Amino acid sequence: MSALALELSTIGVLMRRALNEILRVPGAAIPGILAPSLFMLGLTGAFGALTELTGFSTESYISFILPVSLMQAAGFAGAATGVNTVRDIELGWFDRLYLAPTPRPALLAGIVLSAGFRALLPMTAVLTIGLLLGAQWPGVSGLLIAVLLALTFSAVSASWTVGLALRFRTQAAAPLMQASMFMAVLFTTSYAPLELLTGWLQTVASINPVTQVVEGVRQGFVEGVSFTGTWPALVVLAVLLGLTFAFALRGLAKTGR
Amino acid sequence: MAAIEVQGLEREFKGGVKAVQGIDLAVGEGEIYAFLGPNGAGKTTTVRMLTTLLRPTGGRALVAGHDVAKEAAAVRRQIGVALQEAALDPLMSGHELMRLQATLHGLPRAEGRRRADALVERVGLGYAKDRRVGTYSGGMRRRLDLGMALVHEPRVLFLDEPTTGLDPSSRAAIWDEVRRLNDEGTTVFLTTQYLEEADQLADRVGIIDDGRMAIEGTPAALKAQVGQPHLDVCLTDGANDHAEGVLARFGEVRPGIEGVHFQVTLAGGAGDIAPVVRALDEAGLAVAQLNLVNPTLDDVFLAETGRHLEGDQDTGEVAALSVESG
Amino acid sequence: MRAELRAIGALGLRSIRNTFRYPRYLGPILVFPTLFLAVNTGGAGGAIDLPGFPEVHGFLDFQLAAGILQASLLAAVMGGTGLALDIELGFTDRLLAAPIRRPTIVLGRLAATFVLGMFAAVWFLAIGFAFGAIVKGGVLGVIFVILFGGLTATAFGGIASAIALKSGTASVVQGMFPLVFVILFVSSAFFPAELMQEPSQTIAHYNPVSLVAAGIRGPVVFGLSASDTLDGLLGLAIIGGLGFVLSAWGLRARLRAS
Repeated sequence: MSALALELSTIGVLMRRALNEILRVPGAAIPGILAPSLFMLGLTGAFGALTELTGFSTESYISFILPVSLMQAAGFAGAATGVNTVRDIELGWFDRLYLAPTPRPALLAGIVLSAGFRALLPMTAVLTIGLLLGAQWPGVSGLLIAVLLALTFSAVSASWTVGLALRFRTQAAAPLMQASMFMAVLFTTSYAPLELLTGWLQTVASINPVTQVVEGVRQGFVEGVSFTGTWPALVVLAVLLGLTFAFALRGLAKTGR
Repeated sequence: MAAIEVQGLEREFKGGVKAVQGIDLAVGEGEIYAFLGPNGAGKTTTVRMLTTLLRPTGGRALVAGHDVAKEAAAVRRQIGVALQEAALDPLMSGHELMRLQATLHGLPRAEGRRRADALVERVGLGYAKDRRVGTYSGGMRRRLDLGMALVHEPRVLFLDEPTTGLDPSSRAAIWDEVRRLNDEGTTVFLTTQYLEEADQLADRVGIIDDGRMAIEGTPAALKAQVGQPHLDVCLTDGANDHAEGVLARFGEVRPGIEGVHFQVTLAGGAGDIAPVVRALDEAGLAVAQLNLVNPTLDDVFLAETGRHLEGDQDTGEVAALSVESG
Repeated sequence: MRAELRAIGALGLRSIRNTFRYPRYLGPILVFPTLFLAVNTGGAGGAIDLPGFPEVHGFLDFQLAAGILQASLLAAVMGGTGLALDIELGFTDRLLAAPIRRPTIVLGRLAATFVLGMFAAVWFLAIGFAFGAIVKGGVLGVIFVILFGGLTATAFGGIASAIALKSGTASVVQGMFPLVFVILFVSSAFFPAELMQEPSQTIAHYNPVSLVAAGIRGPVVFGLSASDTLDGLLGLAIIGGLGFVLSAWGLRARLRAS
């Protein structure tokens, strides 16, 4: 088998393995679907009146918040990948991967890309519920851009949390993985446009690169897609993916030292 | 070329803990080498270094001709590993895991499937190959783990305590498979805390204690170093004053309970048992019990370190011969 | 009677010690509600400019009740999880074999939950003060809020204990975690009910948690008032009453199963 074929088939089997948990463990997918869906519905019910504030970009709060729930679904799928990696390390399964002669980047890519698989189900649920409850239809291009950006974010999240898993090698790191994703997604223009955020959150959201991704996912649901609304998100994701993948790869290289 | 060559291998962990303190060993091609030692001696740390899971902090090790630190990927292509914990995914079936392992080792799909089909049968799991591993017993998991270690036909096989926790029949099945592999030319490096396992399987044994090699050699040669077999003789109560004199004809006698219990080293080995019994009978001495005690690797360890190997406190393999007094 | 109180105290102390000895048990009760408080305050803080929003010193002051409620409910779920773990590990059997009254087993756990609820209230009040919130009810108001935090945790703790006793499995109790957020979202914990969207607004009007929220929020935002206090106590009575009935039923079921 050529080197490229080995890498691609390794990525393939690891992605397929990740599907097992969803397909073979009844109820395993439920928490991942429930959390972002409840969040979307709950916030819409509680804070929906915020759209009456001057400067809000839409009259439909569910259209505004649905993209955040998509990002949450993607982010938590990535966090789950990190938690599962810790479990694999504790059970010795990771040694088996490490013993394979496969290049490390391919091993990591297989694990990271599997987060995208995991994210698809909750993202579909959130999208369906949101659209049924009146969220604006983003159009085909808006939908494709939203899904592409969110799935790429799931890879960023997975790289980050796998890096943490390799660093700490214990389930006690799980809350750190979940909390970091929580903050990454919510410390943005998650609840309201930047101008309407108050105090410290306005400052943090203006600095947080994930804000660009949230806005990129949101554009189809509130205004309409454009290149200027998309390219900042793509650039941010490319940089974040590079940095977090390198972080995880470094963790893999340091294993056993 | 040796299959495994180790020179001054060391591993120091954070906090200054030296789990392995400069060991030297060599394992020839096609050999079964048993690495024996008490818990915490450094066996697993050594195996993890030789299988590239842990980087040595000192010394050098070559496995299948490749340096474990500098040519780790080349080492991994040549070795199969079954670790102490059979690290298996409970959600996958045995056959799926075999095919996954084949893919990770670069076997083309058709070849991987063929190897998986053959190996599940070989390790006796053909009937359960499509069942999820979560339903397997401990013995089944170990057999699957062993099969997975063989999927790419490794030159050197590392087995870290392969039969710990298994029942006797499962253990025997693993032993049979190890012998068969070795007959086919695979070098086997085996760690164990079971003396009998090392005795039964190994061409050579290395005993590690507290991170250092205590002693190394063939099982027979090591045991011969600590002495010959001895006979535990227990006589019935009575006038046994002359018993020591009778027994002294056959070897050195160590009296136990006065006039009743004796230990005699058999200069002629087990072949002297019948003459001893005849001599005692002719002297009118009634035997209550007779036990032949062979030296064991634990005796070897005891002689070398002053301590027993953990988990096997019995000194000597006892072949109990109950002889009724006439 | 004194012996029973001592037993309740000993069991309660055991639970509290275990929680504080392992910070990872305290984390979920405090970390996420704190993060949520931060995001809600920063993200929805402009809401105080909405017509119909009550006159408040700051949105953070308004949100403190939500943080305390969330942490108290999570403390209740954690208490139930601990009880379920005791059942799984067989520790409850040890207690049943002891010469203590059966309800003591649950009351001990609830005593610990009460303390955790008060601790959560202290935590959020401290955060509030650190970031500029004030308690209009003064020192007495602070005491009221802390007590309400403890009582809220206890009231919900009865429900969590009932689930633990009936199922005997920690993972079933942990399944309550999402319900905590559902219950809070369809109440006036985060936002005034009059300004919520339907159907959440209607549900909030009937949700006893809204009454409890009023009881906790009142002393902070408006100062001490009999109506807020009575609302809070009524909400606690409804939830606590339900918890009492369910946990008594759960205990009977557990004793039958033992």
